[in-house]
Amino acid sequence: MTTDVGLIRTAAPGYALDLSIWTVLKWTVAICVAVVAVFPIIWMINVVFAEPGVPVSINPRLLPTSLSAGIAKIDTILSETSYLHAYYISITYSLLTIAGVLLIGSMAAFEFALFEFPGKRPMFVIVMLSLMVPTAVTLIPTYLLTANLGWLNTMQGLVVPGLASAFGLFMLIQFMRTIPREMIEAARLDGASHFQIYRHIALPMSKNALVTLAILIFMQTWGNFIWPLIVAPSPQMYTVGQVVGLFNAPFSHVTVDIVMAANLLAALPPLIFFLLFQRKIVEGIAMSGSKG
Amino acid sequence: MFDKKHIPHLLMVFPFLALFAVFFLYPIVSGFVYSFYDWNATTTSRFVGLANYQRIVHSRDFSKAMWNLGSYIIITVPVGIAVAFCLALLVDSFKGFWQNFFRSIFFMPVVLPMFLAATIWRWIYTPNIGLLNTTRGFFGLPSVQFLNDTSTMLYSLIAVDVWVSAGFNMVIILAGMKNIPRQYYEAARLDGASKLQEIFYITIPMLYPVLFFVTTYGVISALQVFDTPWLLTGSSFSQYGGRQNALLFPVMDMMGRGFGELKFGQAAAYGFILTTVIVSVTAVMFALRKKGHQP
Repeated sequence: MTTDVGLIRTAAPGYALDLSIWTVLKWTVAICVAVVAVFPIIWMINVVFAEPGVPVSINPRLLPTSLSAGIAKIDTILSETSYLHAYYISITYSLLTIAGVLLIGSMAAFEFALFEFPGKRPMFVIVMLSLMVPTAVTLIPTYLLTANLGWLNTMQGLVVPGLASAFGLFMLIQFMRTIPREMIEAARLDGASHFQIYRHIALPMSKNALVTLAILIFMQTWGNFIWPLIVAPSPQMYTVGQVVGLFNAPFSHVTVDIVMAANLLAALPPLIFFLLFQRKIVEGIAMSGSKG
Repeated sequence: MFDKKHIPHLLMVFPFLALFAVFFLYPIVSGFVYSFYDWNATTTSRFVGLANYQRIVHSRDFSKAMWNLGSYIIITVPVGIAVAFCLALLVDSFKGFWQNFFRSIFFMPVVLPMFLAATIWRWIYTPNIGLLNTTRGFFGLPSVQFLNDTSTMLYSLIAVDVWVSAGFNMVIILAGMKNIPRQYYEAARLDGASKLQEIFYITIPMLYPVLFFVTTYGVISALQVFDTPWLLTGSSFSQYGGRQNALLFPVMDMMGRGFGELKFGQAAAYGFILTTVIVSVTAVMFALRKKGHQP
């Protein structure tokens, strides 16, 4: 016992010095990385909220300089392009996808996680195998199918093909497996129907997983670029991603601050979402990663 | 044999399975059939056997795209994971509030949609007036055409890619680090192990499954890279891939054939070639993992 204390005491001064160098270094690196991580985002905000004609890149500064100029640019974009409409399309697309995946996925996950029924094993295996199939192989045939259904440039064309999310199902199954069987048996003895058990026990108990999945799906649909690009090529169905792509096209004669204002508008929903739900998002990704 | 009591179960899984069959299984099968036909939006289809496959494999764009893909993956996956691992170590060394703070800040780029990250970076890379080139000018260095000079294009793409993906991988690796029992570190410290030894003899071996997942996932998504190079180059079906196709990747090539040239048969065949590549690479990685686990 005494020797232990002595050891610590003799080691302490050197250890403390070592620690402080380590600490300084660690903080420096962390702050540098933080700057690299957020700088492009800050730069975007700075370009938008600056007097036109004074590009931030030529006159770098850390803080936005003109709030009114930024608002004026955003106003220009909203009034001169169909940006608001694209917003409407993107939000509807995201919300419908979230609602659909959560409903359909949770119903299927409820069965796969808690019950036995004929054909369960093979169905489950096929769905899980599909997680390994790259989107490249289904992209073109799914597009052709959607086109044959007459769903090009429609909301159902955007939403429906993405509803059977194997990833979502997998995540919900993992979660619903932890629901105690006794609760289900008890509810059954109380005369609850199968659907009531799903609705009043399984759904409330997996609220956390459902919220996390909803957030992940939002991020994914809002950022989905390739599917809207091919399935909704008409301007009436442009998503925010496509409008940003237009602004970004090499021969569109717009200045950097207008492009960045368009970008900022597209970045706002996910950024706000992140600031509100950062814990859930980060943990959701960590969970899906460590279990997958 | 069939029991009535199964009906509610089947009713509940039906919506998912129906959509899954129609929008996932059917496209795979039909795509396989399409890949043997010469087919576009206007002409009637004609069975051509393996001609689509041959035409793709022998085309110059295909070899260019595959070559680009190979060099891209070899750099971007290891660099991305090394960066993510170091970030995870860094974040892990903080406690409480600051740990969450840095974790969130480092994660920020992941939240931005890919298409946005690409467009912002495109402006940062702009010759003469872009942020990077004005900074270079400040130090008296000449302006670089990051996205138009075949010697820098690939690295410019990789920088964006690492910037975007590092936070994602970091979060997963960090979660893995939290699962390593603290006693291991305490034991190592008692034995007088240095910080570096702890990392190499405890952290990395214990993280093996997580690192394997991150690597596999990274390789699979890198094989399908599309958004970023598409938006960093021409970003339209008539123009993509950049100068001398230095940023042409297989999925872009496939999309170009399908929607640019309306050769859907070829595009479908392309999808299957790509899938074969992806499945083989994944299989090899799993086989190597198994081998690595044997004593």
